[in-house]
Amino acid sequence: MSLFEWCQWLQHTRFATAISESDYLFPLIEGSHILTLPLSVGMIVILDLRLLGIAFCDGPGTKLVLNVMRWSKIGFTVMFLTGGLLFVTQAGKAYGNVFFRAKVISLLLLGINAAVYQKLFFPKMAQWDSDGAPAGAKFCAGFSLLFWIGVIVCGRTMAYQF
Amino acid sequence: MSLLFALQSWSGWAPFVFIRDSKYGMPAVQSFHLMGLTILLTTVLLLDLRLVGLGMRDYGLSWLAQQLKPWTLGALAVVFTSGLLMFLATPGKYLGSHPFRLKMALLCLALLFHFGVLRRFTAADSAARSRRVNVLVACLSLTLWFGVGWAGRAIAFIP
Repeated sequence: MSLFEWCQWLQHTRFATAISESDYLFPLIEGSHILTLPLSVGMIVILDLRLLGIAFCDGPGTKLVLNVMRWSKIGFTVMFLTGGLLFVTQAGKAYGNVFFRAKVISLLLLGINAAVYQKLFFPKMAQWDSDGAPAGAKFCAGFSLLFWIGVIVCGRTMAYQF
Repeated sequence: MSLLFALQSWSGWAPFVFIRDSKYGMPAVQSFHLMGLTILLTTVLLLDLRLVGLGMRDYGLSWLAQQLKPWTLGALAVVFTSGLLMFLATPGKYLGSHPFRLKMALLCLALLFHFGVLRRFTAADSAARSRRVNVLVACLSLTLWFGVGWAGRAIAFIP
């Protein structure tokens, strides 16, 4: 079975059709997916702005990370669950959609970007708390900001093509 | 009647026609609406979490309120502008919509509550207030703002 055939099979399983044919399940899942943006992406944006030196600069950055990350973990859990369910109901249509593909690739790159930050820059954060982030950390923050915007744009646009 | 007529003639204006009829016009405007929503609700959420002591406790309440304020106002400007563009481009979709009316009513309440109550509660680091009152204020704030969001989402599904 090819990936495309698998996506089509997935979309037509009884589980998927039960969600997409329900009057309230699909809107509830989609609404939750969109309204969890502040708890997930929004928290990361706050951190990115701090690293770039654009906002929240007076306070210590390490603490901001810890504060924000705790909440964003809950947010991203909801995002992946609801996003997964939305994908199941539209897998066949999503497979060939260029905006869906761009969104998935962006999410993968954002994951790598976050892992790089966690490994290379996070342990040393306390050292440069007062005088601003090094160039590498700023690059990660800028990358994150840009690609999260891309994810939102792709997510909204793909829905118009289904 | 004159309002309806005015709205209909405005919606024929070229930029609105472009938003309505081009392939990417409406998704682009809605993307801005979502980005504004993300920032707006993030600032509200952080302030409410701090108010009840569930997050950002390393920062003073009034400091956080001060830092968040320009982002709240900027995000409000983005959601208002993009929302107005959607409304003026496709007024027929919104004028008769019940969720839209609910959204506008909740929006008025949320704005009044935000600037009339929440901002006052977060202006000073007073520890004298009881936690119960802070929790009530934070819950009302989140209920109103997320109510606006849910009502907005419902426009696409409920007439």
